[in-house]
Amino acid sequence: MNSDLEDMLREGMERFTADLRAPAGLIRHAAQRRRRRLALRSVTGAATALTAGAVALVAVILPGAPAAPATGIDATAYVVQHVSSALTAAEPGDIAQIAVTRSVTTGGKTVTTTAQEWSYGDQWRSVTNSSAGQPLYDEGYSAAGVYTLVSYLTRTWARERGIGHPTAPAAIGLLLLRPGIKAWLPGLFRLRPAHPNGAVLVPRLCLPVVSASPLLFQPGLPALGFSAGLQAAAGFSAPSLPAARALRNAIACGILADAGRQSVGGIETIKLKSRPNSPISETIWVTPHNYLPVRVVITSSASSDGTPVVRQTADIAWLQPTAQNLAKLSVPIPAGYRRVSLIKVLLGIAKRTGPRLAGNLPLRLLYGKPW
Amino acid sequence: MPANRSSADRSTAELERFLTERADHLLRTAVLLTGSRETGEDLLQTAVERLLRRWRRFDGNPEAYLRRTLCNLATDGYRRAGRWRQKERLLRTGAVQAHDATGEVDLRDALVRLLLQLPARQRAVLVLRYWEQLTDSETAALLGCAEGSVKSAGSRGLARLRELAEDWTDTAALCGPNGKRS
Repeated sequence: MNSDLEDMLREGMERFTADLRAPAGLIRHAAQRRRRRLALRSVTGAATALTAGAVALVAVILPGAPAAPATGIDATAYVVQHVSSALTAAEPGDIAQIAVTRSVTTGGKTVTTTAQEWSYGDQWRSVTNSSAGQPLYDEGYSAAGVYTLVSYLTRTWARERGIGHPTAPAAIGLLLLRPGIKAWLPGLFRLRPAHPNGAVLVPRLCLPVVSASPLLFQPGLPALGFSAGLQAAAGFSAPSLPAARALRNAIACGILADAGRQSVGGIETIKLKSRPNSPISETIWVTPHNYLPVRVVITSSASSDGTPVVRQTADIAWLQPTAQNLAKLSVPIPAGYRRVSLIKVLLGIAKRTGPRLAGNLPLRLLYGKPW
Repeated sequence: MPANRSSADRSTAELERFLTERADHLLRTAVLLTGSRETGEDLLQTAVERLLRRWRRFDGNPEAYLRRTLCNLATDGYRRAGRWRQKERLLRTGAVQAHDATGEVDLRDALVRLLLQLPARQRAVLVLRYWEQLTDSETAALLGCAEGSVKSAGSRGLARLRELAEDWTDTAALCGPNGKRS
């Protein structure tokens, strides 16, 4: 019987698995998973260096974020941090040069930082400055997917390959919140459900999004379209959706409304405004002929409970990809700076900036390839 | 299967070639260890990820490494890491073959299903012994335990399977070949 049982077990195993074929791309998927893990580890390490105060500062509560009953989403909130690279989506042939001014007001005290960003295809660079206008750090991705971070604070720099391009812009993150947890960390979240067992985004046109910004800020540098999560959120099935078309869709869906014409920096624009009851107020000025944004102002709602109010202005210029302009996408390494590990640079920035600038830490490392 | 080598730097193409040749078999092992195709694929993916991490300097037998990782993940680490998915009964998986008309073939299928009711360690031993056809000593080396432990685990596993099979046979006799009570 023993031998019979063993034979039958062996044959059963053979039969049971006879039709199984390993999925294609095992190595590719493994590499992607590894990149995500490394990125997560880097950020987790940096995050541990933050003080509780820092975390308290970057966590912002968006009061009154409306629920989205049509999709079963408990609450939806969009997060504003940097106005980032994402605008590449609009015109792949041009370099987006974005001047960002970001102010966080807590308890009547306002901290303002500025950043200069460039984005072009797979390449992206951002220089973050202090309130006094001094450069704090410079970071960027090369076309070959190499991430470089230079800290002017510690005179160190790091370079790492294979972390992956940011697929969600630092400017905008989306967190689908569980009831009662109306808090988010800027930049830490991708455009996808925050909890695997939580809310599920159901593809449907004109979902009750609270902001048009995610439609505008393309969360994937290399591509022209949305991330998979955003596509699901927005209900668009098209593989790509340029910013101009996304804006038109936002208007059609009532997320944005035409608020007339206005001149911005000498450019005649159409002013688009979000709904009055939106938890994030946004105003976008676009050029009439191609709907390309030239200025975006985003403000989170004020509240009486001490929640920081974030206001961010991005002025966007579209540059021709000349050699001179393309050079702006490279992160220069100043002479005499010491090369150290990426985590050391991150920790150095976190220590020096403290809670006041915590929200501006180069946490883009978290953004891996699409999940 | 590529033999052991001592090259200091292996190319990804080499790993690709190896997986082209052996990934199906390893997936089958993973599915037998976990009980579902989905979990098996996840397990294999994790094992490949671990191999990839050290591949350039890897000096050993990749199949043995992957097999050992699969077993370790299935019996311990994978579950402890919280990624262990809900164990699925083979009855519910799409990988189950259509039943043959004969009771004997049904019993073979049933044995594999019953395998999943065993503790992970016993299941791993039986999979390695009867699917991978490793010896007791090879199984012990792979699982990192004594040969005696393998023998006892295999023996207990088979004994348990026999009990379950007897229960199953009795029920099948009562219900008839099509599962209806006769």
